[in-house]
Amino acid sequence: MAEYKSIHGTKVQDYTTDPDNPITGQVWYNETANTLRVQAQTTAGAWATGGSLNTPRAYAGGCGATKDASLCFGDGPPPAPTASGITESYNGTSWTEVNDMNTGKAFVTGAGTYTSAIAAGGDQFSGVAESWNGTSWTSITNEPNGSNAYGSAGADNTNALFFGGVPAPTRTVTRYWNGSSWTDLNAMNGGKKDLEGAGKTYTAALAIGGSAGPPTPLTLTESFNGTSWTEVGDLNTGRRFAAANGTQTSALIYAGSTPPSITNKTEEWNGTSWTETTNYPLSVTGNTGAGADNTNALGFGGSPPETNATLEWTGAGAPQVRTITTD
Amino acid sequence: MAKTYQYCVATNWGKGFIDHVESSRITFASFPGNVWQVPAYNKHGNLWVAKVAGVVKTKDEAQAIVDAEVQAAQATWDALPDAEKAPAVEMNTRPTDITLEE
Repeated sequence: MAEYKSIHGTKVQDYTTDPDNPITGQVWYNETANTLRVQAQTTAGAWATGGSLNTPRAYAGGCGATKDASLCFGDGPPPAPTASGITESYNGTSWTEVNDMNTGKAFVTGAGTYTSAIAAGGDQFSGVAESWNGTSWTSITNEPNGSNAYGSAGADNTNALFFGGVPAPTRTVTRYWNGSSWTDLNAMNGGKKDLEGAGKTYTAALAIGGSAGPPTPLTLTESFNGTSWTEVGDLNTGRRFAAANGTQTSALIYAGSTPPSITNKTEEWNGTSWTETTNYPLSVTGNTGAGADNTNALGFGGSPPETNATLEWTGAGAPQVRTITTD
Repeated sequence: MAKTYQYCVATNWGKGFIDHVESSRITFASFPGNVWQVPAYNKHGNLWVAKVAGVVKTKDEAQAIVDAEVQAAQATWDALPDAEKAPAVEMNTRPTDITLEE
């Protein structure tokens, strides 16, 4: 058997603490822990708890380009007028309270980034919309169909797509916000509410799960190309009021309601199909998601009861220090 | 019948409460009342319960904690004025009963 040195070019070194930037495959001895350790890579994605929200909440809005730069706003239930406009920003370590929305909303939906976002809808303020510039919210033209419980996608506060929702006549409607006005685009193939969305631009979006009316959850996924919707691969577990994030070709969905119970299943979308992966550690519904794709995600909030928990997802292939054991 | 799960009560303190290695090794589930479910007779589950200083509960004890929390949430929801509750009724978000598994 080849020696470690001949393969790796160095001897196994002793450290009192783990080295700062080990390379993949590097082995060392941790004198403090009396263990042999290796710099490995994860073989599957996994969740870890992150800094907790300052305000526990569920059915909130959220958005963010990455898990280290995300925004959470609104709350519910209870719905208006008790609903909250509290907004928090996450930096990868902790949540910080920033300026509130002008109108407290339950079941609000968001799209964009933590410096440029749109919030629309919310129980008794259906269609009410606000724009976030990284510092404060500004009321904008109401979404004309007067809906809420949408799915959403988009780049920023000049490029956002909201689809489905309640009341029933609006469940297939697709609305595009260009920074100054709303335009209805071609409808989805099937009516949905309480659904999730993914996509970093309005021309490449996914509508995921939800329900058609009764609480029975849907497994359906539809993909939007800027002009029309096409049905694509189904979820393995239908769900509503879940959390999702990512793009049209790389997305993640986690937890949610599967009446009469709650699921903690996580599924990855690779552009073609959904695959089950490591479970979400919380049994919640009404949680909210943000993040880049199916390797980078942030889940926060949910109920019952309303929680301030935050979960960070790192996909397979992430650096990971592992202890070498013989048992 | 052998247990599939063990239960404990522990408060999520944020970063480090569950890490990536733990969530890849064991399946967690959480319930109202800070009740956590992890696999029984599992080294990694036992280590995690010890790490978070979890107070171990029998399934029946855990169920009682969960029931009390859910019933309180249902009572709060039911007490909402109808005008406030109406939109949420369509969302069907009244907290539902939860039954823990052995």
